[in-house]
Amino acid sequence: MPGNEVIQGLGLDDYKFGFVTDSEPVFRTRPGLDAEIVEQISARKDEPEWMLKRRLKALRIYESKPMPQWGGDLSELEDTLRQTYFYVRPQEQMERSWDDVPDSIKETFERLGIPEAEREILAGVGAQYDSEMVYHSLKEEWESKGVIFDSIEDGLKNHPELFREHFGKVIPAADNKFAALNSAVWSGGSFVYIPPGVELKTPLQAYFRVNQERLGQFERTLIIADEGSRAHYIEGCTAPVYSTDSFHSGVIEIVVKREARFRYTTIQNWSNNMYNLVTQRALVHRGAHMEWLDGNLGSKLTMKYPSCYLMEEGAHGEIMSIAYAGDGQHQDTGGKVIHVAPNTSSSIVSKSISKGTGRSSYRGLCKVYDGAANARSNVECDALLINETSRTDTFPYIEIDEKSATVGHEATVSKVGDEQLFYLMSRGMDEAEAMALIVRGFIEPIAKELPLEYAVELNRLIELEMEGSVG
Amino acid sequence: MSQAAVVRQRTDPAIGRATVAGMGAADPAWLRARRDEAWAIYQATPMPSTRSEEWRYTDLARKLQLDDLVVADGHTGPAAGALLPGPLRRTMEQDGDSAGRIVDVDGKVVSVELDESLARQGVVLTSLREAARQGDDNIRRLLATAAVPATDGKFPALNAALWSDGVFLRVPSGVTIERPVRLSRWVSRSGSATFTRILIVAEASSRLSFVEETLSPDFDRTTLVNTAVEVFSRGGAQVQYVSLQRLGRGGFYLANQRTLAERDSTLDTLNVALGGSVGRVDLNARLLGPGANSDMLGLYFGDADQHFDFNTSQDHVSPHAHSDLLYKGALDGSARGVFRGIIRVHEGAQGTDAYQTNRNLILSDDAIATSLPNLEIGADDVRCSHGATVGQLDAEALFYLMSRGLTRGRAERLVVLGFLGEVLSRLPLGGVVEKVTNAIVAKLRNV
Repeated sequence: MPGNEVIQGLGLDDYKFGFVTDSEPVFRTRPGLDAEIVEQISARKDEPEWMLKRRLKALRIYESKPMPQWGGDLSELEDTLRQTYFYVRPQEQMERSWDDVPDSIKETFERLGIPEAEREILAGVGAQYDSEMVYHSLKEEWESKGVIFDSIEDGLKNHPELFREHFGKVIPAADNKFAALNSAVWSGGSFVYIPPGVELKTPLQAYFRVNQERLGQFERTLIIADEGSRAHYIEGCTAPVYSTDSFHSGVIEIVVKREARFRYTTIQNWSNNMYNLVTQRALVHRGAHMEWLDGNLGSKLTMKYPSCYLMEEGAHGEIMSIAYAGDGQHQDTGGKVIHVAPNTSSSIVSKSISKGTGRSSYRGLCKVYDGAANARSNVECDALLINETSRTDTFPYIEIDEKSATVGHEATVSKVGDEQLFYLMSRGMDEAEAMALIVRGFIEPIAKELPLEYAVELNRLIELEMEGSVG
Repeated sequence: MSQAAVVRQRTDPAIGRATVAGMGAADPAWLRARRDEAWAIYQATPMPSTRSEEWRYTDLARKLQLDDLVVADGHTGPAAGALLPGPLRRTMEQDGDSAGRIVDVDGKVVSVELDESLARQGVVLTSLREAARQGDDNIRRLLATAAVPATDGKFPALNAALWSDGVFLRVPSGVTIERPVRLSRWVSRSGSATFTRILIVAEASSRLSFVEETLSPDFDRTTLVNTAVEVFSRGGAQVQYVSLQRLGRGGFYLANQRTLAERDSTLDTLNVALGGSVGRVDLNARLLGPGANSDMLGLYFGDADQHFDFNTSQDHVSPHAHSDLLYKGALDGSARGVFRGIIRVHEGAQGTDAYQTNRNLILSDDAIATSLPNLEIGADDVRCSHGATVGQLDAEALFYLMSRGLTRGRAERLVVLGFLGEVLSRLPLGGVVEKVTNAIVAKLRNV
């Protein structure tokens, strides 16, 4: 058993991206939230009347719903919300080319390695800086295929009918308190449409970054993968460390139409004072596949349970979740699969690491409705505990109303074994190296699922931090 | 058999302060005070609703109207020596050898037998009420204090206020009871509420097994049977506790069980739920010393509209203890099975080994299984796992049996028996395996 100093020396908690770039926002609302602020946001975005009405209705729902009493500790959140700027707009114009992006913002991206990724690998980047898309490019071939990859605001402006058909249909405002909040004040995010049969070899990528103290970021993403299409969307987050609490509450709606395949990948590394409360849901239709790959490394508290609603025969949902909870962090994550139709299948694989006083909780739901004949679901949760003070929980809900369903759930909790360490050290590794190798091995089954491009992000965030502590 | 009191008369005791006072009239002062305190807690505690996590799937507001019930005050049972009801006699005849036997009818102990040699060694088996009135110090210290106190919740409080009788079993240090001690319980009155308690103390290095069986006719209205079970195993003791719930339809069985296992002791439990309309068991196993071990077994078979809800917890308070839970259920008709279990590894409970498995077999289109196996781990040097499955009959096993000439019905019965039999094989107590197997077979005939 390694001593605490060895474990602390691993430096898992060092925050490498805790820098702040000076940039003056062009416009922001006053702190706090009321109908007037919602009206300001809507006016600023030059929205149609129906959207303003929706926002105001969502605000009333938000105000009427109590704070959740389950999951993480939200007792200090109300104070945070009172001081939150619900809307900040950094620039007036959408930038079309990299050269037009202001230097201060460029610098931020540069330090995160975005330019290389942009030049060498990325086909299209929707980089979200503060609350607005500042930079957005789309590969020409995609445009020729009819793919839409816009900021959510442009989605509403340029494709009003498609937008209105799906917006708020997967996750209605009344779904939960934070979905209601997002529906009232959303700003930024992506609007994606993949036409029937179109296959995208390179992932669509958006980079989210919060750079304004006490800024609430309420990104809203709506994705429609039309029949037989195939695509992969990647979102990653890092944020500078600030002294006061920040708040992020996104809503991601995805419609996967018949026979389509869609994967959504998130790597979340918010700073350790961030509340991260996100609702992510996909409606999966006949023969379609939906995959969520969810990595949660940062934030003070994350509550996020990506879900797949398997609506029609043969739909398939997968959720792969990895969580790292360091000192003072609580990762309350997991996934939900809801089987509504026959011959649907799903799988959830969750892996978590708790270190120091960190706590990781798996919370999940597997629901099979009557009539979802031959539904199959399998859930596996593995938790790794590093210190005596680390904590982990598993809260699965399994509700089966169908005779022919087959459902399994397995969970294990373990610590890094003395024998494993002893073996590696007998091969010449020092204790820290051995520990790092074991932790990497533990997350490998999920890490290997990431595509090369933004896997760089996850690999750097986990592997480099651990390796940096070695020797 | 009689089914009296279809409607509660004004003179019938209701759940209320007057009945609490009446129940304690002949009790010593300390016990009356404990009842009063429990009643105050009961009144101050809200009725559990489906809004609370632990009662999410059992809606008491819909399934149980406490105000309509007539409290069995322990005065209505048959006189000593009177002939016992037929079904009770028949099931008692099926029991194997016993070291002791106690019979409870409508909340009153009507007979106690104990092997003389055991009595000479200091084993105590008696009516709980008698023992409490005679001032047994163990009862004063342990009754509704350390295991199932009134502060545990609405029903533990109600029971502590209104219990009419029960069992006290104490085995002195080093004494071994080879054969099971049996409690046979009968409830006759439709619309009644029976509150009984069981207090078992196994002193250091003693051994005992206790089998409790609850029967009744079918009822035309909801009839509550509530028990509080408190089991203590001191250092190195070995205890097996078995509960067979075979109430008739209309029965609402509600049990609060807690086991406290000290250093190097073994405290195993088996809960079998076959009867009644609603069965709810709250079982908390506490592992209090290094080397303590609890195997927790459960078996349920629901048909028609039966509703079984198990709420288990494994509290690893001490380091280096072991617990292993296996609950298996088959659900037919429109039955519903709920399993909610939690392993809590307390801070500092290093070296914990704790496991939890719940498996469900769904036999019909309308049956529902809900499984919530939870873990809360506050120490790092632990081995914990849990698993839950819900599925249908194994098609290959069925095919094999049918290819050997069995009809589909017989093949299905055999597979179900094999599935549930795994639980019984882990705690093969004399009389229990046969009795439960026969009861399952009888239910399967209706499938």
